[in-house]
Amino acid sequence: MTAQFWPSHVVMEVRGASKTYLSGANEVKALTDMTLALKSGELTGIVGPSGSGKTTFLMIAGLLEPPTTGTVHFRDQPIANASTRLNNLRDFRRTHVGFIFQKANLIPFLTAVENVQIALEINDVRPKQAKARARELLAQFGLDHRENNYPSQLSGGEQQRVSIARALANDPVLLLADEPTAALDGSRGRQVMEVFRTLADVHRVAVCVVTHDPRWSDIFDRIVEMSDGRVVEVRPGGAMKARLQI
Amino acid sequence: MNIAVKDMRFSMLRFALTAVGIGLLLGATMGMIGLYRGIVHEALLIINDIGADLWVVEGGRSGPFAETSAVPSSLDRRVEGVPGVASTRRFIQYNQQYIIDGKSVRLAVTGVDYPKDSGSWIPLIDGRLFRSTRYEAIADQSTGLLVGDVVRLGHDDYTVVGLTKGQVDMGGDGMFFVTIPDSQAINRVLPSEAILLNRLAKGRSRMGLGDGGALAAVMVELKPNADPEVVKAQMKAWGDVEVLTQEEERSMLLDGRLWRLRVQILAFTAMTLLVAGSIIALTIYMLTLEKINQIALLKLIGARDRVIIGLIVQQALWIAALGFSVALFISFTLYPHFPRTVLLVPEDLAGIGVALLVISLGASWFAIRRAMQVRAQEVLA
Repeated sequence: MTAQFWPSHVVMEVRGASKTYLSGANEVKALTDMTLALKSGELTGIVGPSGSGKTTFLMIAGLLEPPTTGTVHFRDQPIANASTRLNNLRDFRRTHVGFIFQKANLIPFLTAVENVQIALEINDVRPKQAKARARELLAQFGLDHRENNYPSQLSGGEQQRVSIARALANDPVLLLADEPTAALDGSRGRQVMEVFRTLADVHRVAVCVVTHDPRWSDIFDRIVEMSDGRVVEVRPGGAMKARLQI
Repeated sequence: MNIAVKDMRFSMLRFALTAVGIGLLLGATMGMIGLYRGIVHEALLIINDIGADLWVVEGGRSGPFAETSAVPSSLDRRVEGVPGVASTRRFIQYNQQYIIDGKSVRLAVTGVDYPKDSGSWIPLIDGRLFRSTRYEAIADQSTGLLVGDVVRLGHDDYTVVGLTKGQVDMGGDGMFFVTIPDSQAINRVLPSEAILLNRLAKGRSRMGLGDGGALAAVMVELKPNADPEVVKAQMKAWGDVEVLTQEEERSMLLDGRLWRLRVQILAFTAMTLLVAGSIIALTIYMLTLEKINQIALLKLIGARDRVIIGLIVQQALWIAALGFSVALFISFTLYPHFPRTVLLVPEDLAGIGVALLVISLGASWFAIRRAMQVRAQEVLA
């Protein structure tokens, strides 16, 4: 099934992608002929039950898994297919894609500021400038007073905000988040979702969030519902409805 | 940012303990090699230092170190007459246990042919060399004696006039240098029963059976142009003596008497090296396995392979360097207090260092191979 598009330029598009895993002697189809475009300035929510293929889609769109069939396009240029060695796309990922997961996945032996700084230094930003930029990002997320704390000294919400700061360090055009609020309470979860909203609105980042949580439907521009590895419905989210005054 | 150092600083205690563990293993390896070197060094001490070109010993024997040897006390005069011989010195050495100040002490009593031999080859750390033909002694500090101590051995008192360090025989007994007449006098003191038995065995006596008048060997210094083989042949023609060069003495000691011990120690050393190498390699590999999640994350955020390789190799080298330092510290502070000499030769230590470097880099290579197989998405695992 092909998803509908709202006007905006496409950053990353998965076209006709299927993904099959081998589980022992059995083949498991995680994704079937999926096409979905992620556009700049748009916050897309992907919802659906466990095993519906949400995370698999995110992996393919984030160039972490190759599709078994189909292609991935970046700004209309094919970038990955079944035979692509995704390890070779590490440089591309570093400069174009940011990832956020349910677990913050911070490096435990680096402080908050160093966890952000490392992402910049990996992208050849000089240490001094990297540290200054990392501090700036942490300050944006209200973590300036926690910059020298190790992850173990931060709350779950603070850790997640550090991981968002890290994901944004290299100004990605695409931000992919897998259940980013699952480990947070309601108010922390909303804070995180509002950060995504701002990124889409102000920085024109294409943001795609996989979630189980129905509370955030008012924040999304578009909600993609998946089941059994297929897109079963694409509907406008609360933000889009408000914009269109539906 | 150096993430290898950051990780080590964060888990400082753990890395320190790992380094200490590796240091102890390496220290044990250094100790085993040092013990081997020490045994060889001690065994060859007299042969190397005393400066004899030839050793004239009892016929049919490989004395006086690899086997016992007893030659007549007048043999030195016979040897002096052989063409090509520049000088001779008499030699006696035997081990005995004595009670000194109520304590049992084992001594390697060694006769020095004073005044022909002033004992100038004996390395003193205190006191002086011999000035009298009788009743003076130079003792190794391992005997517990000090300059000025008076020791009663046999029927006479001996004053310690000089002190040495590290002068022990192959059994580890401290040397107690006295003049040849004194060494014969000390050795002559036997219980009356032994004297009786010796009289019955007259003509068959040798050192150790109580014939205090006999020598163990006669040492020969050759004239500058003398051919050792010719001199040897002349003396061997007498039929009652064996003549050995310095090199033959060394070889008979190392390849004869000490052969099994050397092989045993070398086998243990090889085993210690193998165990140390395996544990070091495993430790470095395990350090990488523990960081799989962080390596996956680094790949996820786009880190180049060199960042990950740098993390692994730097940590391996840091642990190796710290472990090596700990091993050196242990070796140089602890081993000097061991009862036997543990000889730390710079070449051996450098060899261990190179082996450690190779092991660390080898283990890093396996760890890097594993790290390269990690996929970025494993961060979700």
